[in-house]
Amino acid sequence: MTAIDTGPVPLGPTQLRRLRRDYFSSPVSTLISVLCFGLLLSIGWVLFDWGVLRATFAAEARQPECQAAGGACWSVIANRWRLIFFGLYPYEEQWRSALACVAVIVTMVLSCIPVFWTGKRLTAVWALGFLTFYVLMKGGMLGLLLVREEQWGGLALTLFIFVATAIIGMPLAIAFALLRNSTLPWIAKTTGAVIDAVRSLPLISILFTFAIVLPFVLPDFVLQEKLYRVIAGSALFFAAYQAEIIRGGMQGVAKGQDEAAMSLGIPYRHRVARILLPQAFRNALPATINQFVITFMETSLVVIVGFFELLSSANAAFGTSDWTFAFVEVYVFVAFLYFIFVFGLSRYGAYLERRMATGQR
Amino acid sequence: MNVPAISIRGLQKYYGTYHALRSIDLTVKRGERIVVCGPSGSGKSTMIRCINRLEEHDGGTINVLGTELDDNIGNIDEIRREVGMVFQHFNLFPHMTVLENCTLAPMLVRKTPLAEAEALAMRYLEKVRIPDQADKYPGQLSGGQQQRVAIARSLCMKPEILLFDEPTSALDPEMISEVLDVMTSLASEGMTMICVTHEMGFARKVADRVIFMDRGEIVEQGSPEEFFTAPKTDRGAQFLSQVLGH
Repeated sequence: MTAIDTGPVPLGPTQLRRLRRDYFSSPVSTLISVLCFGLLLSIGWVLFDWGVLRATFAAEARQPECQAAGGACWSVIANRWRLIFFGLYPYEEQWRSALACVAVIVTMVLSCIPVFWTGKRLTAVWALGFLTFYVLMKGGMLGLLLVREEQWGGLALTLFIFVATAIIGMPLAIAFALLRNSTLPWIAKTTGAVIDAVRSLPLISILFTFAIVLPFVLPDFVLQEKLYRVIAGSALFFAAYQAEIIRGGMQGVAKGQDEAAMSLGIPYRHRVARILLPQAFRNALPATINQFVITFMETSLVVIVGFFELLSSANAAFGTSDWTFAFVEVYVFVAFLYFIFVFGLSRYGAYLERRMATGQR
Repeated sequence: MNVPAISIRGLQKYYGTYHALRSIDLTVKRGERIVVCGPSGSGKSTMIRCINRLEEHDGGTINVLGTELDDNIGNIDEIRREVGMVFQHFNLFPHMTVLENCTLAPMLVRKTPLAEAEALAMRYLEKVRIPDQADKYPGQLSGGQQQRVAIARSLCMKPEILLFDEPTSALDPEMISEVLDVMTSLASEGMTMICVTHEMGFARKVADRVIFMDRGEIVEQGSPEEFFTAPKTDRGAQFLSQVLGH
C-alpha cells in the first residue's frame, strides 16, 4: 500500500499542526490565507515606511524638509504637542495642566481598583482628585495664577469632562434605574418620561441648551461656569442611557434573589446595594464599558459651545499656515491618544469579566 | 410562651380575579412541625409566602409570634427576622461565597460583628455538613449542597420559625435525602417548621400534622397516621393515590 501504513507519521510541534489545520487545510483556504496575510504585510509595510523609515522627527524641520523625505512629518507633533495637550491654557502655566491630567488619571485608575469600591473610599478618592485638579487648573490660590475655565483645553479638558460626567452620571443613572423600577406607578412613569425625553434629544442640543439657553431661564445664583453646566448636561445624557443599561442588567437578576434577601429581613437599601446592583452591573458590564467609550468620544462635541478639548485643540495644531499640510500626522497622533484610552478601558472590562466569572463557573 | 407561633384567620388572596386562597384558618403551635401537601396550584406556596409577606394578603389576619402582619414596615421587618425561608431554587447569592451568603444577613440585620458572624456561619455549615465548602461560590456546588447552604443561611438569623417551599423539588433524586436528613435533624431539635413538600416519607416520619390543600382551601388536616391511612375526604384519598400510587 502507501507509505502511511509503514509506521506512525512523525508529528510536528503542536503549534505547527494547528497552523496547518487552521489556515492551510485545503487549496482554497491556503489561497485565502496567503492573500490575507500578504495584504496585512503590505499594509503594515506601507505604514511602517511612511511612519518610521521615511518620516521626519527633527523638531526644527518644516514643510520643505518633510516633503523631501516623503514620509510622515512628526515635527508637527514635536512643535505643537503642548497645544494638543493643553489647548489655550497659558503657556507658562501648562505644567499645572499636566499635573492636573495626572491627578485625573490617578483618580480614574484608583476608582477602577476593587479595593476602593466602598462608598467612603470612592468618595474620598473622587473628592481628593477633583480638589487637586480644580486647585491646579483654576489657581487663584496658593500663589497660583488664576486661569479661568474658558482657557482650559486639550487633553486635560477632555479627561476632566469625561471623568466628571462619569462620576456624576453613574449615581444619577443608578437612581434613574431604581426609580423607573419603583412600585409606585407615578414615580416609575415620571422617571421613564424623563429618560425618554433626554434620549430623544441629540447630545449637541442638550449641551447647547445647558450652555447657552439656561442662562436666559435660570436666575444667576443657580448658574455656575459654563463648563460645569456643560458637564451637568453631559452627565444627564450619560445617565439616561446608562440607566437603561443598568435596568437591563437588573432584569437579568432572578426574582428569587430579592425574595431570599427579603425573607432574611434585609432592608431595601442593603438589598439594592449588596444583592441587586452587584449582579445587575455584572450582567450589564459589556454595555457599560461601551457606554464609557462612547461618552469619552462624545466629549469632542463640547467644541460647539466654545471649549477646546483634545480634538479641537488638535485641529488648531495644524491650523497655522506652516503646518496645514501636516493634518494627517496630527490626526494619527490624536487617534493614538484616543486608542490608548479605549484600549485600556476594554482591557479593564476584560479583567472585570474574568474577575466576576470566578463565582459563576 | 402560650402565644401561638402562627395564627392565620380567614386568609384571602386573589391574583386579579383568580381566588388563590379561600378563607384559610390555621394555628401553628411553637415547636410544631407541619407538612403542607396538595396538588399543584392548590395554594400551598402562596399560603406560606403570605406568612413572611412575600405575597400580600387581601383579607383576613396573620399573626406571627404575637406580631400582627399588616402594612406596618416595622412589623414586617420584625416578622421576617424571626421567620426563615428555604426556597425551591435555593436563591443563594451567586456573587458571594458560601460564607458570605451566611454572614450577610446577621451582619446587616442583627449587627453581628464579622468574626462572630463567621463563627456562627461555620457552626451552621457544620450542622448541614459542608463546612469545607465555605470559601466556594454557590455555582461550584451541587444542588443538594446549595440547598443545605440555603438552610444554613436561614439558620444564621436564628429564626423561631422556618418555612420550606418545596425544598427538594428542584433536586436530582440522589440529592434529596441529604437535604431531608438535615431537615429531619432540625425537626428533632424542636424548630417550628412548615414544609410544603411532596416527600410523603418525610411527612410520615417528621410531621406532627399534615395539612392537605386543594383549590385554595384546607380540605383536611390531621396526624400523618390518620391522613395517610384513612383520609377523611375523597379529594385527599384521590391525591394520595396519585402520589403514592406508583
